[in-house]
Amino acid sequence: MREAREIVEKAKLEGRRKLLEHESMRLCELYGLPVAKYGLATSEKEAVAIAREIGFPVVLKVVSPDISHKTDVGGVVLGINSVGEVSDAYKTIVANVAARAPGSRISGILVQKMVERDIEVIVGGIRDRVFGPVVMFGLGGVFVEVLKDVSFRIAPLTELDVEEMIREIKGYKILEGYRGSQPRDIEALKNLILKLASIISDIEEIEAIDLNPVILYPRGIGALIIDARTILGE
Amino acid sequence: MSNLKDLFNPRGIAVIGASRDPTKIGHIILKNIVEYGYRRGIYPVNPSVSDVMGLKTYPAVSTISDKVDVVIVSIPNTKVPEAIDDAGKAGVKHAVVIASGFKEIGNVDLENEVVRRARRHGMRVLGPNIFGYVYTPVRLNATFGPRDVIPGNVAFITQSGALGIALMGSTILEGIGISAIVSVGNKSDIDDADLLEFFDEDPNTSVVLIYMEGVSDGRRFVNVASKISMKKPVIVIKSGRTEAGARAAASHTGSLAGNVALYESAFKQSGVISTKSVEEAFDFVKTLSWNPLPPGDRVVVITNGGGAGVQASDTLADDGIYLEKPPQDFVEEVRKILPPFASLANPVDLTGMAPEDWYYRSVKSALQNSGIDAVLVLYCHTALTSPVGVARAVAGAVDEVGVRKPISVAIIGGLEAYEAIKHLTNLKIPAYPTPERAAHALAAQLKYRKYREYLIKKEQIAS
Repeated sequence: MREAREIVEKAKLEGRRKLLEHESMRLCELYGLPVAKYGLATSEKEAVAIAREIGFPVVLKVVSPDISHKTDVGGVVLGINSVGEVSDAYKTIVANVAARAPGSRISGILVQKMVERDIEVIVGGIRDRVFGPVVMFGLGGVFVEVLKDVSFRIAPLTELDVEEMIREIKGYKILEGYRGSQPRDIEALKNLILKLASIISDIEEIEAIDLNPVILYPRGIGALIIDARTILGE
Repeated sequence: MSNLKDLFNPRGIAVIGASRDPTKIGHIILKNIVEYGYRRGIYPVNPSVSDVMGLKTYPAVSTISDKVDVVIVSIPNTKVPEAIDDAGKAGVKHAVVIASGFKEIGNVDLENEVVRRARRHGMRVLGPNIFGYVYTPVRLNATFGPRDVIPGNVAFITQSGALGIALMGSTILEGIGISAIVSVGNKSDIDDADLLEFFDEDPNTSVVLIYMEGVSDGRRFVNVASKISMKKPVIVIKSGRTEAGARAAASHTGSLAGNVALYESAFKQSGVISTKSVEEAFDFVKTLSWNPLPPGDRVVVITNGGGAGVQASDTLADDGIYLEKPPQDFVEEVRKILPPFASLANPVDLTGMAPEDWYYRSVKSALQNSGIDAVLVLYCHTALTSPVGVARAVAGAVDEVGVRKPISVAIIGGLEAYEAIKHLTNLKIPAYPTPERAAHALAAQLKYRKYREYLIKKEQIAS
């Protein structure tokens, strides 16, 4: 995994404790995790080309080592449906950031496929002082925020452990399908958790990683990571 | 890496700091070793007296010509490193450091020095800051706790000193038979995982109970605990369950991964049975150490009162065990002895008029029936029967059929009920004063059975 190592080394060299969003996404891709299509643009022209390639609608997000809450500084534009809108959004974001977060370095603008929303889950990993690499799973939104309905396992994991940790959360019924909703793609989810466990086990610098949200589609359709955040240790 | 065989089976044991003063820990430990009946060499070490309790003393371990595998170190903390060196040179393999005044009060360097010197001589350290250890198969009680520990098959590892000593006493009161008690204290060297590796192989131990504040190497604990749990149940009382797991909230996962959640996950993953209280743990120890493993999870509840039956069924349901209709041949047999209005569903209600003989016959029939995996017997003290009589009836049924499947008994009532519980306890039949405790303790066995199957399946997939 030379490229994964390079991503981490680059961040360390630049004194960053956080991977940039496209770096986190790339890391996931390198480990075979399903991410929503994306590309990093450093010019308006490039943004248009990437949008054309991945297909509309897309989302544009600022990528900066200095900005952690992108929406607060007007660094995100959703629901872009045409080439013209890409150019406009690009300009708007650059202007917003210059006005509301002056002096912030801009690494580029992430052009990301805007995918169909469905059931959201969170998959995460941390490196614990006592237990080492640990993975977490839970349903997204209110389930994780308020109810803290999550489960943990110590890596390395077997497929059996992953099955148990998925079934362990109180909201599991939602994934099985209820009131006519279709059962979710548990196989894709299992795969995703196992691969995340490999990332956190392999790369010792990673202190925490959040895949949040991950959209979990009906059985056979798979899952897609919308946002990934990776924190490196001190 | 961990070979603790000589710790538990020493050819000779020296007590550094053996004292004539009966109030000194060095005296009490020596007395326990002698009086509990350890038969191999016992060597008091004390440079200032010639003998203690009629045993010749030695000025230093290095002056003992016989083989000494273990030294008990009960001297002031600052003198410990020197004693370790002397013992190490004499070829001692294990130092059991009773002395306190180390890491627990911030003396990290002194503790590290002790371990460093021990390592230099290839010696392992138990402690410091401990009350000692017990291994009943060789009649060794090297603690300053109660002397007359009941020999049995339960190994008890405790990180707490005072509570540990107190619980030593509780095991005697509760009739729990012990293979080993190990006070681990600061765990400077030997820790839970080392001990679990030993107990995994130890033919004298079939259940391990741990009072744990925390471990330093969680992954090793998970690995070792997973292995032993395939053979023997491990029950843990984890202290500090309410501690908030706050950590730098740079990540969502980090903010949710509290200490408690991680330990609970680790226990689950390694098949360790986690308990919330000393009472619950002791209740579980009884069913897990006295009963055989259930072949399945079909439980039949036999009661003489509807209320007790409901309490037990609810408890079982909380533990994920749902009662099914009892097997037809069992129902036929019980029908013969019961009045027509008795309920033959599950719980089987023998009715309030049930005499001791009905208990005897129905329990016997349940124990014999291959469609039943575990039996829960509930008895509410009524005016018509005596608790001890019912206890005898249940014990008679067990005796006749043999201990082939798990049984758990609740005897609910006053002083006579207490006597009945004691009677069953003496016969190693798990008995409790409430239906909930009896049900929950039986459920622990079924839970362990599931854990064990899970671990075995995992291993089969891995290999």
